[in-house]
Amino acid sequence: MSLIEIKDLKVHYPIRTGFWNRITDSVRAVDGITFNIEAGETYGLVGESGSGKSTTGKSVVGLEKVTSGSIMYKGVDITKKANRTKLDYNQDVQMIFQDSLSSLNPRKRIEDIIAEPLRNFEHLSKDDEKLRVLQLLDIVGLDADALYKYPHQFSGGQRQRIGVARAVATNPKLIIADEPVSALDLSVQAQVLNFMKKIQREFGISYLFISHDLGVVRHMCNNIAIMNRGRLVEIGTREDIYNHPLHIYTKRLLAAIPETNVNQRAAHRASRLAVEKIYQEQQSKYYDENGEAFPLIQVSPTHAVALPENIAKQLASQEGEVQA
Amino acid sequence: MAENFEQHSDVSAADLARLTQEAQAEATPSTAKIIWSEFKADKPAMAALFIIVGFILFVMIGALFINTPKMMETNIMGYFNQPFTSDYWLGADSGGRSVAKQLIVGSRNSIGIAIGLTIISSTFGICWGLISGYFNGYIDWGMQRVYDFMMMLPMTMMIIVLVTIIPHYNSVTLTLIFSIFYWEGTSRLIRSRTLAESEKDYVSASRTSGTNHWKIIFREIMPNISSLIIVDCTLSFAENIGVETGLSYLGFGLPSQTPSLGTMIANANDPNNITQYWWTWLPAALEIIILCLSISYVGQVLRRAADASQRQGAAD
Ligand SMILES: Nc1ncnc2c1ncn2[C@@H]1O[C@H](COP(=O)(O)OP(=O)(O)OP(=O)(O)O)[C@@H](O)[C@H]1O
Ligand SMILES: [Mg+2]
Repeated sequence: MSLIEIKDLKVHYPIRTGFWNRITDSVRAVDGITFNIEAGETYGLVGESGSGKSTTGKSVVGLEKVTSGSIMYKGVDITKKANRTKLDYNQDVQMIFQDSLSSLNPRKRIEDIIAEPLRNFEHLSKDDEKLRVLQLLDIVGLDADALYKYPHQFSGGQRQRIGVARAVATNPKLIIADEPVSALDLSVQAQVLNFMKKIQREFGISYLFISHDLGVVRHMCNNIAIMNRGRLVEIGTREDIYNHPLHIYTKRLLAAIPETNVNQRAAHRASRLAVEKIYQEQQSKYYDENGEAFPLIQVSPTHAVALPENIAKQLASQEGEVQA
Repeated sequence: MAENFEQHSDVSAADLARLTQEAQAEATPSTAKIIWSEFKADKPAMAALFIIVGFILFVMIGALFINTPKMMETNIMGYFNQPFTSDYWLGADSGGRSVAKQLIVGSRNSIGIAIGLTIISSTFGICWGLISGYFNGYIDWGMQRVYDFMMMLPMTMMIIVLVTIIPHYNSVTLTLIFSIFYWEGTSRLIRSRTLAESEKDYVSASRTSGTNHWKIIFREIMPNISSLIIVDCTLSFAENIGVETGLSYLGFGLPSQTPSLGTMIANANDPNNITQYWWTWLPAALEIIILCLSISYVGQVLRRAADASQRQGAAD
């Protein structure tokens, strides 16, 4: 059994208008997605801005009211609040937020911030609690001095490590990492990602790693789902996604990874323009008449893509993949 | 599970005391301390604060030594006595009643009402705004319709009607009546900030940390809008002194046997008093001007100081 099983998850935001606040329309932020996260793995969820990644992540930690679908954890559907309370669900599933500054209460000291989940879930004695906070600070590479300081006194990278420490505090099984490094510069990104990997090794944590950048995901994730306008367009292993991308949207995302090798800049640019051209010309082939993604089709045991069956098979054989 | 953390960190129970001490040496002063030290640096603000606190204490304590019914008796011998005499420091009014004593008791009454009104209406307005802004959705919608209804009522007229139909009233009932109508401004202000604040990720983080709604509202969000609350309270205090005063001046506030700043200023209704017997109304008018100026000055400094610590919070 997987650690967490997300089945046909939908989150629609009602648009209310008029004096009576009637629902006139809805934003389909997440529109029927299905995937599983295994214990101990890092699952990548990738898509451009507004594709519904954060909404998915927030639904999984229980911050978002789900419209339909289920999220199964330990055999119960945690989209229901009563089930979350019964399990002390958030002791096991925590979140690292995109914006490290706004995710730390500016009026609280670091000790109180990191100890917050401990106080609610573990009820340690005062000394044990302080000890745990100090150990957590040590694990993410911060000095004990940090204890009585405020969030604004730290750099972006340090703040994100405080966010990691808070998420790890109750020794959870799954951490939703919502673009944990996208606000940081490159050198600091690597540092925070390394801490996250180290913690994963030591505590056997799973991550749902959300990002818009396939370059970062490559270093972190074994399995990757590509999200586009609230739906999944491609699911596969790292190998499937990076070496045999089938959906045009995935190819576009791959083409958008910045090329660091200066000599190949021109070639990179040419291939990016080529992909963009195909995308513009062949929209109708890759999306249905409403401009939405097709249902996922399995093309190999690990690889699925949202295309009509015949096109999927054809593309897959072109890519030389083993047929399912 | 604790072993798990022991294993992967060099910090152990033995280091606890030493590390705590190290951290304490590096501790950042709290926001309250920052505000206080900025306050100390501003001499005029300090003076204004002393004037307010000193004056309030003086009238509160002074009024205890004055026998009000006796003071309010008419004394024909003191008819418009000149000020600065040994019997009447600030003169006497048309009933021969000491202006100085009336001023003390009247200030006590007016300021007492203003303080009570500020405490009740601000507490209520802050809670209303916080709850309405935090819960959003239907709760917010319902609470806002109540707010709209209250705003629709003509406030001064309602108060006058209520004061007229209630047979016996005193400072306490008057304060309560005022409170019904004076929480709305605060609640709207607090709600709009709470709406913005609830969107921030630290609120989500508290929810995933298992903290309940009420704790999030009052322990997480409220400290973040504390500067707004402080400033709003000081300014509404200054405003509230005017509320009772204005109504008593019009003759709908405290009964005439109960002195207040408003009833004293009402002496100026008589043209004779304005020109000849200036001491009957001028001290009360001056007092209100000085008090309100001091309070709003303190409010401004508080705002500046709170913003400064806010700026520090925002700077990175
Ligand atoms: N509370 C809300 N009310 C209405 N619409 C919302 C709400 N939250 C998100 N949306 C909409 O849902 C869609 C998905 O939002 P989401 O935040 O999940 O995107 P994202 O993939 O995380 O993007 P980013 O990479 O910019 O963080 C967006 O179109 C957004 O406008
Ligand atoms: Mg997002």
